[in-house]
Amino acid sequence: MIRARVLISGDPLSLSRGAEKTKLAIEAEISYYGLEDEIQVSYLTHADRTDILPIVMIYPEGVTYGPVTPEDGAYIVQEHLYKGRVIEHLFAPPEVLTGDIAHIPGRKGATYAQKRIVLRRAGVINPLDIEDYITHDGYFALAKALEEMQPEEVLETVKASKLQGRGGAGFPTGLKWSFVVQQPGEKYVVCNADESEPGTFKDRLILEGDPHALLEAMALAGYAIGAHEGWIYIRGEYALAKERLNKAIQQAKELNLLGDHILGSDFSFDIHVHAGAGAYICGEETALLESLEGKRGIPRIRPPYPTVAGFRGKPTVVNNVETLANIPPIIQNGADWFRSMGTERSPGTKVYTMLGDVNITGLVETPMGTTLREIINIYGGGMKDGKAFKCAQTGGASGSIIPPELLDVPMDFASMAESGAALGSGALLIAGEDTCIVDLAYVLLRFFKAESCGKCTPCRIGTAQMLEALERLRMGYGTQVDLDRLEEIAHYTKEASFCGLGQAAPVPIITGLRYFREEFEAHTRGECPTGVCPCSVKQKVKH
Amino acid sequence: MSKVQLTIDGKSVEAESGQTILEVAQATSVDIPILCHHPALSEWGACRMCLVQVEGMRGLQTACTCPVTDGMKVSTETEEIANIRKFILELLFSERNHYCMYCQMSGDCELQDLAYRYGLDHWTYPRPFERMEIDASRKYFIMDHNRCILCTRCIRACSEVAANHTLNLRERGADSMIMADLNVPFGESTCIECGTCLQVCPTGALIDARSAYGGREKDVEHTQTTCMQCSVGCQLDVVTRYSRLLRVDGVWDAAPSNGLLCVDGRFKPLYDKRQRVTQPLVRKDNKLVETSWEEALKVVAGKLKDSKPQGLALAGTTNEALAAFVKLFEKAGGEAGRLEPLAPELDYGEPAQLKDILESDYIIVAGAAPLEYQRVVGYFIKRMADKGVPVALIGETVEGLQTQATLVLSYEEAGKAAEAAMSAKHPVIVYSVGLKAAAIEALKSLGDKARILALDPAHNSNGAQNAGLKPMAVNGADTLYFLLGEQSEDEALVAQLNGQFTIVQASYKSPLVERADVVLPTPLWYEREGHITNVEGQTLPLNAVLPMPASVRDDAEVLKVLKELI
Ligand SMILES: Cc1cc2nc3c(=O)[nH]c(=O)nc-3n(C[C@H](O)[C@H](O)[C@H](O)COP(=O)(O)O)c2cc1C
Ligand code: SF4
Ligand code: SF4
Ligand code: SF4
Ligand code: SF4
Repeated sequence: MIRARVLISGDPLSLSRGAEKTKLAIEAEISYYGLEDEIQVSYLTHADRTDILPIVMIYPEGVTYGPVTPEDGAYIVQEHLYKGRVIEHLFAPPEVLTGDIAHIPGRKGATYAQKRIVLRRAGVINPLDIEDYITHDGYFALAKALEEMQPEEVLETVKASKLQGRGGAGFPTGLKWSFVVQQPGEKYVVCNADESEPGTFKDRLILEGDPHALLEAMALAGYAIGAHEGWIYIRGEYALAKERLNKAIQQAKELNLLGDHILGSDFSFDIHVHAGAGAYICGEETALLESLEGKRGIPRIRPPYPTVAGFRGKPTVVNNVETLANIPPIIQNGADWFRSMGTERSPGTKVYTMLGDVNITGLVETPMGTTLREIINIYGGGMKDGKAFKCAQTGGASGSIIPPELLDVPMDFASMAESGAALGSGALLIAGEDTCIVDLAYVLLRFFKAESCGKCTPCRIGTAQMLEALERLRMGYGTQVDLDRLEEIAHYTKEASFCGLGQAAPVPIITGLRYFREEFEAHTRGECPTGVCPCSVKQKVKH
Repeated sequence: MSKVQLTIDGKSVEAESGQTILEVAQATSVDIPILCHHPALSEWGACRMCLVQVEGMRGLQTACTCPVTDGMKVSTETEEIANIRKFILELLFSERNHYCMYCQMSGDCELQDLAYRYGLDHWTYPRPFERMEIDASRKYFIMDHNRCILCTRCIRACSEVAANHTLNLRERGADSMIMADLNVPFGESTCIECGTCLQVCPTGALIDARSAYGGREKDVEHTQTTCMQCSVGCQLDVVTRYSRLLRVDGVWDAAPSNGLLCVDGRFKPLYDKRQRVTQPLVRKDNKLVETSWEEALKVVAGKLKDSKPQGLALAGTTNEALAAFVKLFEKAGGEAGRLEPLAPELDYGEPAQLKDILESDYIIVAGAAPLEYQRVVGYFIKRMADKGVPVALIGETVEGLQTQATLVLSYEEAGKAAEAAMSAKHPVIVYSVGLKAAAIEALKSLGDKARILALDPAHNSNGAQNAGLKPMAVNGADTLYFLLGEQSEDEALVAQLNGQFTIVQASYKSPLVERADVVLPTPLWYEREGHITNVEGQTLPLNAVLPMPASVRDDAEVLKVLKELI
């Protein structure tokens, strides 16, 4: 009879900080006290703050300790599990106890609960255990769809939910599916789990923490559009996520939740996992399909769109991990439930990965329409070291620079676009007053130059030329000529590039110039106002 | 195809739906600049030169990929578009070395032309380019990466037209480079030197070793003629200057091969090192000595009249010569035949054209080795195999297509191929002399829906066939008359000779020529006028690219004169 459960965060960051040793120490101590039959120990994906890892959670009390060293682990077994005494001084700082993560009466209310749909199970269940998933409502939506709903009803529900793609562009998911349904012949579901946007790791935590949710969602998508095969294109570096997905697929097949005649129905669906090899461009859906077919990962000419001619030339739905993770709860709870969250135009929640000059970095899931100011102040615990907010970059490297004036724009796809910014993939880079905008642009352009696939002229050479101009400005050799050139190249590269990568690469420069032109201009005089760039060092030497 | 109405730069035009903006513009003389587009290749849409504005569409569209729709309003030269094009050209000129004055392409370069058109009179962007390698490991042409603009025309030509898949890109972004196979020197790669990539390259990156710096477009002359190096009869665009052969290009819009050539047609003849016969020769005191045409013809006519002659042709000359050959021997009263064997005739199926291969859904190659002897046919088959069309190989002599084949069978197993092809709508059978009776019978079940392409080893087999020349060996005649043209005789042939008086009409010195009693020089492929009849049965013209030397005479003329003399 299991009376207690110990969960140890097993994400790569925790493992790199010794989570495995902590787990071994806990297990050794449990067997020392002969508690093996009463206490179950397993890994979980910690889906929250990154500054207190590794953490150890103990249920049913729902106590969270962190960070936990191997010695602490042994001590927790002794004190908490054997003697029944909670160890106050090893508690994780209260900010972590948010939302569904831990239910400690008395600590609730001291923090701000997030709204969790996508991440509701991540960090709560054992991702390696399908039974755990099932006891947390898992595969209910699939069972419901197969038993009670026609494929059209599933499609209609997704359409009515107004779910928009979370991969960056915010395309209506139901509409995308309906394009595929209209096409004749064989169809495919492809999950875009390439997640290579710098600063974005939301999909990884879904994949590591709740892999079955993705499988269930893909099966639902397959049912709705009439596909029998699905592919997960996963970023090559996501070894742990890949391992867990494969394990989950195997478990689901064993229980006939994937495979032939799922749950005795007429519907059969199989899922394969394919790992990328380290190219940002392979997140772009047509390059992804090329890569999935075994070719060089470069974008295709559109039209035809993947919904008409996608994987192996067949109509294909390509959806982001987070998009798909919303599907099972929508089917289970209905479109109205989903639309009750978020904004009118963008219902539901959004998962953000927050980085930079805030007190708490990590993952946040909040309803669409939350403002950046709220996210920074409530979930980020305010600006780090009391710095003033200078700007943010939303949506990863290709996102726009957000000045203080836009802090109160509701964050949803449409409102952001209207204010000249973009929501993008959900990365939030928060920069304090000591950040140099030229330096920031330089770092971003280095990324784009390295990741341009080289297919089209403007992006292949334009990124290199923009980097060159930024390098000159940063070093203090730049003049107004370089700045004018930078602006010109940025404009035309955005206008003329073949795909989203080249069209977005100049966005940090364009928006940076829109809000911080004086700072760029200062660099043409060899001055870096924040003293970050090498030119300021030279200046000091000169005086 | 339905008609659509659209306007391009304010001009109303009619077009077929499914056409691209570029196609329609070109048909109406609106000149949209292009670099990566090539009419013989798939669209790539990447150089971004052809961006145009379409009213109501977000952003700019590439004219080469954007299909026209009814009511579309296209602007091809707004100020913004001109600026973008100039910007793209500036970028390309900043990427690698384009100091035109040292470039062999200068004057004929598509990139340079566009730079003139958009007024690029100096560089504005920094040129941080590195010096790159030049790969001269291939015999006939050179790759200079410094001039490459990564348009990938060469890659597409190699994959789609030659179906050889030698070329690809390595690295990515600004580090992208064209490479052969897994980045080996071109000369050590799987390249078959068909030269298709060379022909499509818009810049000076691919350099023909022979014609480089030999003359710009405005200095040279072009003559279209038919390739005589095998029985396919590809059309050649022969480029000359100062009576010198510079280069051979394929002709994109001419059947049978539509621009595709093989190494034998494009390069090898320009490097032919064989020694030519330029004067009539007669044997005197057991030595061949130069003589006049009068004397040589008198000796030959005398022999044809006074002894029992036999005529043997290598069917590598014109229809006119082969017909005159037959007529001559009719009059002289001797037998005339051809030296090459003939592919067996099938009493079923329709004769095929090369383009039928491109429309086929099943290909059977029986007793033939097209990749070796009629290479372009082999490339056509590989193209279809790339598209997933099944290819069955029958017989032991088949080589080179194994990797593409879905079935490899012996003659006895030929029935299996017939069975597999049964459900095909447009099966094609390509065969040659090796085909065995059992297989002929087995394939009969495909009946008349099969298209049949007989690949005879003779270069003008159909010409010989039409003239009535049948395969024949040396008989007991006293006088032997060999019509060789440019081709080389079988080595075993010389060994069969045994004291007969031997007349040889040929272009090059060879053992048979050395052994001959009279030698009559014939013109080379680029000096010939007349016709050949190719594998498809099409009669194709030969046009003289350069005049032949005064001491050489056309073989048909000579044969006619001889007929009058006897
Ligand atoms: C350069 C580039 C990189 C991209 N990377 C990703 C990615 O890593 N993950 C992703 O889901 N979508 C990415 N996208 C967006 C996809 O092309 C596509 O829009 C998305 O997968 C569609 O899914 P959704 O409708 O569910 O958002 C990228 C797009 C571009 C242009
Ligand atoms: S924009 Fe960049 S990534 Fe996209 S096709 Fe062009 S070179 Fe490749
Ligand atoms: S490739 Fe063209 S543009 Fe480049 S140097 Fe040669 S002629 Fe000039
Ligand atoms: S010569 Fe022919 S085979 Fe060789 S690389 Fe060029 S196209 Fe390919
Ligand atoms: S070698 Fe010529 S055809 Fe090939 S990519 Fe370079 S410029 Fe284009």
